[in-house]
Amino acid sequence: MENQNGVSEPDQNGAATASKTLISMQNIWKTYQMGVEELHALRDVSFHVEKGEYLAIIGPSGSGKSTLMNLIGCLDSPSKGDYWINGNLVSEMTDDELARIRNKEIGFVFQTFNLLARATALHNVELPLIYAGMRAGERNEKAQAALASVELGDRVTHRPNELSGGQRQRVAIARALVNHPSILLADEPTGALDSKTSAEIMTLFEKLHSEGNTIIVVTHEHDVADRAHRIISIRDGQIEKDERIK
Amino acid sequence: MNFSETLKLALLAIWAHKLRSFLTLIGMIIGVMAFMVVFSLLQGFNAYIDEKVAGIGSNSFTIMRFNFIDYSNTDKLAEAQRRNKELTFEDIDYLRSRMQVIEKMGAKAGGNQRDIKVGTVIMENVKIDGAEPVIGVIENINTRDGRYFTDAENNNSVRVAFIGADVADKLFPRGDAVGQEIDISGIPYRVIGVQVAKGTIFGMPQDSFVQLPIKTFGANFGGFRGSRFLYFIGTAKSDNLFKDAVEEARTLMRIRRKLTVDEQDTFAIFTPDAIAGLRDSLFGTTFIVILAVPAIALLVGAIVIMNIMLVSVTERTKEIGIRKSLGARQSDILKQFLYEAATLSAIGGLIGLILAELIGVIISSLFIPTKIPWYAALVSIGVSAVVGVLAGLFPAWKAARLDPIEALRAE
Ligand SMILES: Nc1ncnc2c1ncn2[C@@H]1O[C@H](COP(=O)(O)OP(=O)(O)OP(=O)(O)O)[C@@H](O)[C@H]1O
Ligand SMILES: [Mg+2]
Repeated sequence: MENQNGVSEPDQNGAATASKTLISMQNIWKTYQMGVEELHALRDVSFHVEKGEYLAIIGPSGSGKSTLMNLIGCLDSPSKGDYWINGNLVSEMTDDELARIRNKEIGFVFQTFNLLARATALHNVELPLIYAGMRAGERNEKAQAALASVELGDRVTHRPNELSGGQRQRVAIARALVNHPSILLADEPTGALDSKTSAEIMTLFEKLHSEGNTIIVVTHEHDVADRAHRIISIRDGQIEKDERIK
Repeated sequence: MNFSETLKLALLAIWAHKLRSFLTLIGMIIGVMAFMVVFSLLQGFNAYIDEKVAGIGSNSFTIMRFNFIDYSNTDKLAEAQRRNKELTFEDIDYLRSRMQVIEKMGAKAGGNQRDIKVGTVIMENVKIDGAEPVIGVIENINTRDGRYFTDAENNNSVRVAFIGADVADKLFPRGDAVGQEIDISGIPYRVIGVQVAKGTIFGMPQDSFVQLPIKTFGANFGGFRGSRFLYFIGTAKSDNLFKDAVEEARTLMRIRRKLTVDEQDTFAIFTPDAIAGLRDSLFGTTFIVILAVPAIALLVGAIVIMNIMLVSVTERTKEIGIRKSLGARQSDILKQFLYEAATLSAIGGLIGLILAELIGVIISSLFIPTKIPWYAALVSIGVSAVVGVLAGLFPAWKAARLDPIEALRAE
């Protein structure tokens, strides 16, 4: 199961898996120039994710997990290497195509939530639908439902600073799910939640997964990682382990 | 995102930063207000000169004893007094008996101020003048009550009076002026008509006057000397004969006064053209200068908006990052900031326009009637929105171009 060198796998499986491959990273580097020194947040990372996979990424703080998630989510671009999503080379996509992918294909739960401070929970959740061009009535309904599904139906008019940390996290999750993305990217989605809510969120993720969605979750909690079907361990910007557990 | 969606977003953002929005607006408000007030003043002033000074009807000319330049100093005036004889009724009769293209010609005299009494009520310093009945037609005088003079009343120096609306309202508050008597310097006159109210011009009430048949005026106020000099007003048979009519008046006057070719006129003829020309020479260049000042204010308003929008982009970098991470395209962000800038300055323009309108009302009641033409109002709203778009363009472009991850990292 262990796979240090992710490149070999698709080469062996060839065209058979190409149609199912959702994410394909080939020799990805992310380098930050810190003065004269170069800081490699990711070094030569290669792996593939098939449609419908449930993947957990674990690793110590500062190992490059969030950096990797930002790349997968098309928010950042690699310093070196190629990233294909759905068979398209991301570096060749136009800005509008990227925006469409972020809007329709990807639901991102950020480690720091990234909610609009001045907007209500409802408006925050509506945002992806606004950019999808949905009409106000339908949008409102969907956002209400998404908030209800994370048990915040009674907090729709609250602003982020009027919500607890766990509630903010749940707003972020509702926002990531509201547009039914095919890939859910969650960076420490249960970091601010108690074990009960945590379990509920994980159940929600499992339900999404069973509906055929692809889920990638960064976590340092073992019981969260254990729910996944595959775990990638990162250390110092490199993939240390890539194991399938289910 | 569609138009209304983006507009709503812009309004929300403006509302969310109330104080900042207000401060931004001030620049625009002052700019538009200053521009509109000055513009309406100039408009009003032009209209004032066109209608009132030259006016009495835009198609009439006036023959007087002295010209403008004769008043420029005492020497000139003394010389003019020797050279230019007073105008007389014989003069106007001469003109009337020979005129071809002049349609009507009437004499007026005036300029006295007297107190008017009705019972115990006294109205002080009311302008008294005299006019021939034909003046009612020439000046297109509108009566509110009663009528204007008849020839019979003038020829027989009947003591009747045609009065301004203020005089009527002050002395006869019950509105029954016609038929009543007023007392001027101990002599009673019967009111036969009241003019439609005209308001004020340059703070001068236009409705505080008493007009008498010119012969009545001459008989009771000591002839047509000094400030009670005679002057004539004429009209042409048609608009395109106006120049000919003026020329005819000049020629007839010169013949009557037996002037040789190289002698100058011993009278003066004023036409609306001449007065408008005088106005243009006075205001032509100043017009541009006067408008340039508020235009600069408008420009400053635009720079303020650009500044605030730049600050706003910097301040909201994180917001832009979040929006982009959720699928906002560059064009969505661009529109968001452009709409915000345009809406902000259009609101500023609108408030400025409303204030200008209010100031205009005050100016109108104190000095001259001002008027903001509808096209100027539209233009000023449009200009402020365009200024807003231009001022917002650079900040909006900056915002749209932000890298999503860089923007998200901003605090
Ligand atoms: N914009 C940046 N400029 C310079 N260095 C950065 C930048 N972003 C991240 N790094 C560095 O890259 C490395 C990986 O950061 P990253 O945020 O991916 O870590 P992480 O695995 O998500 O950690 P944590 O579990 O604490 O969230 C860190 O050493 C970090 O300091
Ligand atoms: Mg992280």
